[in-house]
Amino acid sequence: MLWTDKYRPKNLKEILGNNKEKKIIQDWVNNWKAGNPQQPLLLVGPPGIGKTTFAQAIAKEFSEYIELNASDKRSQDVIKSTIGESSSSRSLFGDDYKLIIMDEVDGIHGTNDRGGVRAIGEIIKTSKHPLILIANDFYSKRLQSIKPKCQVIKMAKIRGPTINKMLKNIAEKEGIEYDKEALKELSKKANGDIRSAINTFQAIADTSHELTMEDVETVTTKDDRSTIIDGVMATLKSKNPRHVKDALRVDEDPTLVMEYIAENVAREYTNKNELKKAYENLSNADLYFGRAQSTRNYGYWKYATDFMGIGVSSSKRETYKKFTPIKGPTVFTLMGRNRGKRNLRDGIAEKMSEKMHISNTVAISMFPYLEIMFQNDELAWEISDFLDLDKDEIKRFRKKVIPKSVIKKMEKQKEEMRIEERDRRAEELQNQMFAGIPQEIEEEPVRDEPELISPEPETEKSAIEEELISPEEESEELMIEEMVEEEVEEKPKEKKNKQASLFDF
Amino acid sequence: MSGPWVEKYRPQSLDDIVGQEHIINRLKKYVGEESMPNLMFTGPAGVGKTTTALALVKSILGEYWRQNFLELNASDARGIDTVRNDIKNFCRLKPVGAPFRIIFLDEVDNMTKDAQHALRREMEMYTKTASFILSCNYSSKIIDPIQSRCAIFRFAPLKGEEVIERLKYICNEESFDYDEKGIETIVYYAEGDMRKAVNILQATASEGEHITEDSVYDVVSKSKPQDISDMITKALTGDFMGSRKLLHETMVLQGTSGEDMVSQIYQEVSRRVLDGKMDPDFYIDVIEAIANCDFRIREGSNPRIQLEALLTKFL
Repeated sequence: MLWTDKYRPKNLKEILGNNKEKKIIQDWVNNWKAGNPQQPLLLVGPPGIGKTTFAQAIAKEFSEYIELNASDKRSQDVIKSTIGESSSSRSLFGDDYKLIIMDEVDGIHGTNDRGGVRAIGEIIKTSKHPLILIANDFYSKRLQSIKPKCQVIKMAKIRGPTINKMLKNIAEKEGIEYDKEALKELSKKANGDIRSAINTFQAIADTSHELTMEDVETVTTKDDRSTIIDGVMATLKSKNPRHVKDALRVDEDPTLVMEYIAENVAREYTNKNELKKAYENLSNADLYFGRAQSTRNYGYWKYATDFMGIGVSSSKRETYKKFTPIKGPTVFTLMGRNRGKRNLRDGIAEKMSEKMHISNTVAISMFPYLEIMFQNDELAWEISDFLDLDKDEIKRFRKKVIPKSVIKKMEKQKEEMRIEERDRRAEELQNQMFAGIPQEIEEEPVRDEPELISPEPETEKSAIEEELISPEEESEELMIEEMVEEEVEEKPKEKKNKQASLFDF
Repeated sequence: MSGPWVEKYRPQSLDDIVGQEHIINRLKKYVGEESMPNLMFTGPAGVGKTTTALALVKSILGEYWRQNFLELNASDARGIDTVRNDIKNFCRLKPVGAPFRIIFLDEVDNMTKDAQHALRREMEMYTKTASFILSCNYSSKIIDPIQSRCAIFRFAPLKGEEVIERLKYICNEESFDYDEKGIETIVYYAEGDMRKAVNILQATASEGEHITEDSVYDVVSKSKPQDISDMITKALTGDFMGSRKLLHETMVLQGTSGEDMVSQIYQEVSRRVLDGKMDPDFYIDVIEAIANCDFRIREGSNPRIQLEALLTKFL
């Protein structure tokens, strides 16, 4: 049996600490019992500090209770059908209140539990029964509409000594021999989470019936429960190097943790000089992350982590007396929101890089000049024709579409140039290879001239070039036979290369 | 009638290339030889690395240059797989109608170290059939084993008069009017980068007939995002969050690279100090920070974090 269940306080009196909260809750229960309806209770606080225990202890005070937790699918319908009915009607026999407990309210999923938050709102409004809501994150968006309608009880982390007392109690009942210091260390490392402390304790001592310092060291370092948010929180809020360093032992990409710290430090540190100092440290952290990456010497990470953790945390003279909710890096959301624009940009850059022997970065650095050039109708057409840009891509550089008259004019010009060029080539061809019979060759291309208005000169050109090249291809084939390996692969590849080459001049 | 002038006026032969004489002269010696060492062209943007490589390839491989030439630029996916497959497939074949085959890899400094190591092996394996030309901005970002397998050519920024000569040539070809002052202004802003010079020239030409100091200045200021100035003003007035937001938008939406951001911030603050709008002592402190930021970004740090840190210096 899990010790967390076995030793879970059965009623309010058995619960350790939290005296102020206990008082409020006891009053709340008494009022209900006196037939005096109260606002719902909202218990908020980090995991493992006894919110559910509280709720269940309260449940003991009522004759019946219903519980819903995060594992239930909480769409509007589910909430309504399971407790919606019973919440608004009361038993004929009067004083039988049913307690409704909704756990992890802030965990309601945005799309999967559509309408879930609204449904809770409705239940709060219509409920004739006592209602307890439980949540982890006081600042969660999903709580915003619920908070004003509830009596909020913020629960803090459990202090080390309190946890220690609880563990001692368990140790005595289970007959476990323990090293006092080890038990203290275990209580401290739980970081306010009494459930994790008890679970860890059970994992170590359930069978061996003893607890040593060594046990604590091996187990707790493995079972590290801090999250990125804890790490950022500690960095911003604490000035204790050990605390910060421990909290930053997070199972995440450290450069992501750095992004989080950078995002939030500017919200927390309002003093300019402190912000400057903090950013100096972040910049150093980044430097060493970069060096680790480029040299593949990940030993540099430890310096980087110290810069972004201890460095940033000690950049403040004193801890700010305020609570700033930790946000994810806004630049990521910005990137996500503008994926379309960025794809458009990269698509254009791709086309430029193909035709102009430049990288995407260089291509993008040319955009400001292209924007200016595109204000000129004819040049806009020329460049978009050269790069083969589509309508949306042209729009990236100019707001107005290119006037039809300009397009017509330019296409005509291009066609004329194409014919000129082709005639010149035809002449060359004639001189080179068909010196004796000029007439037949000249007739051929001239004939389809009026029909071909579409700007597709390449196909035409390549047809001519094919003729030009074909005799040489024969000689190529001769050479191919001399090749060392894989002639079969060679041939199509050669052809492909040639094809591509016709386009990019 | 052929789109961007940077491409239209790209020199096609070694003789047409502007500047870099001693490099060109040495390269010419490889023409007509049976083999060529692996080459590495290093230098800032717009000084002719790619142009030289393409011209060299054409004169060495002659008529069949397209068949014997593989160009992989930085936008092609160039992970280890590309290096292993594309290069391997290309190198395995015997040259056709040319003494050897040539592979041109652009911006090698942007390849991952792992890909560079893979490349190094390919370079060793096919010495008989193929030569490599690598180009990069910073040779320091190339792993040593590759550097030691290459003859390294350092391209210097182009001299003012070299750029002037080319710009005048283009103006004459396109029959555009210009005055000396106008061309000089372009050269001043181009900082030895021919691509930039030609882009400014074409952008200016697209606006009217004349290339004058004013029309060039107009284009240069238009091509700079106004956001940079706002961003600095916001930071100077203590609005770090607003300033940082503009930084993110410029980098994410316009895709401005970290190095461009640094150089534009530099231009902006130096304009301010020259106009008497910034205290020289403060300016020098800021310059130190900008220089540091520039160095770190080039060394491979995360440009966004470094630029955010730079912005705090204005507070």
